[in-house]
Amino acid sequence: MEGRPPDDVALAERARNGDERAFEELVRSHQRIAFRTAYLLTGSAADAEDAVQAGFVKAWAALPRFRTGAPFRPWLLRIVANEAHNRRRSEGRAEALRLRAGRGLPGDAAPSPEGAVLSLERREELLDAVGWLDERDREIVTCRYFLELSEDETATVLGIRRGTVKSRTARALARLREVVEG
Amino acid sequence: MTELERALVVLGRALDVPEPPDVVAAVNARLEPRRARRTPAPRRLAVAFALVLLAALLATLAIPDARSAVFRALHIGGASIEVVDELPEVPAEPDLELTLGQRVTLDEARRDAGFDVRRLEEEPDAVYLGDRGTVWLLYGSPERPRLLLAQTPFHSVDQELLLKKVAAAGTMVELVSVDGAKGAFLSGDPHFLFLLDELGNPVEDSARLAGNVLLWNEGGIAYRLEGDVDRETALELAGSLR
Repeated sequence: MEGRPPDDVALAERARNGDERAFEELVRSHQRIAFRTAYLLTGSAADAEDAVQAGFVKAWAALPRFRTGAPFRPWLLRIVANEAHNRRRSEGRAEALRLRAGRGLPGDAAPSPEGAVLSLERREELLDAVGWLDERDREIVTCRYFLELSEDETATVLGIRRGTVKSRTARALARLREVVEG
Repeated sequence: MTELERALVVLGRALDVPEPPDVVAAVNARLEPRRARRTPAPRRLAVAFALVLLAALLATLAIPDARSAVFRALHIGGASIEVVDELPEVPAEPDLELTLGQRVTLDEARRDAGFDVRRLEEEPDAVYLGDRGTVWLLYGSPERPRLLLAQTPFHSVDQELLLKKVAAAGTMVELVSVDGAKGAFLSGDPHFLFLLDELGNPVEDSARLAGNVLLWNEGGIAYRLEGDVDRETALELAGSLR
């Protein structure tokens, strides 16, 4: 994922100038992470797909105002995350978000060494703890660890300052620690 | 990275996430009508400017009964004020401090802000550095704020980012002059303050119920003075900034 920005910059610039093919390329290359983001925020595949589609449509409309040279991925994910939020909120789903820990790691036919360090039981316990975090803390955990975004990307996606990302991350980790170690 | 952080990354990779659908065709289909509509818009722009001008004119008369879609928006520099029939639902934020940002001293704010942070004659009781480079001066306590003064530099606000007030139809919106700078005073019914992103979506944490508000721009800084004060007092306070 990290090798993408230079291509993105060129594609985004072309798309900004109305190149539909370039935008299609951006859709193709970012739809996976966009869906993952939306799914982790809504917990619903249907909502996530809808949020992704709407997000891309809005991104196209907003491209003329996209800053040349800015990283495209976090900008897009912010739009998608907003769409995901809107769907979650409009349905009044305030309860804890329930995700499921899979038995295997995606893409790994054989158990990987890192998979082995976290037993299924512990995964579920940790996931439960994440699910009971308040929304803001959960979003930080989702961006930083589940989506593996950098602090800067997280700041852009959530529309907050980098310092706030740091402080909220620390707070969320402290709360998780209390639950899983307490 | 701590053990807990590593465990979270591993957990993230093991989450059951459905296979992402291919949305390329669907997005293209949804974009098709928009692309077809993409026509040069000088005429529409002209109409928009005319509407903004009309809005400004009408706003001078105050618009508590604004029902017509014609004068829903008033633009003051980087800020826009929108009058709506019903206020949007905003989640209550009991923790004002969390909303305002990171608590700092006035000296720290002056050092980090990158612009000349001003204050009322009275020393603020607390100072916060918020999102988008906003410096907040709080007079009173977070539980019982008396006055809030926000200063947001335009240069650090994305050009697309809009400051937006959403006012109920019963809110008075008066155009005022603050030392020659164009401003607006909002009073009456409650209104909300939003910071919007490039798509018009509220930025997280930015929505807050505001009291009466004086809003103006001066020297590239957007100022907002909020509190239970009347127009004259607000203007007087604004004139006393140093």
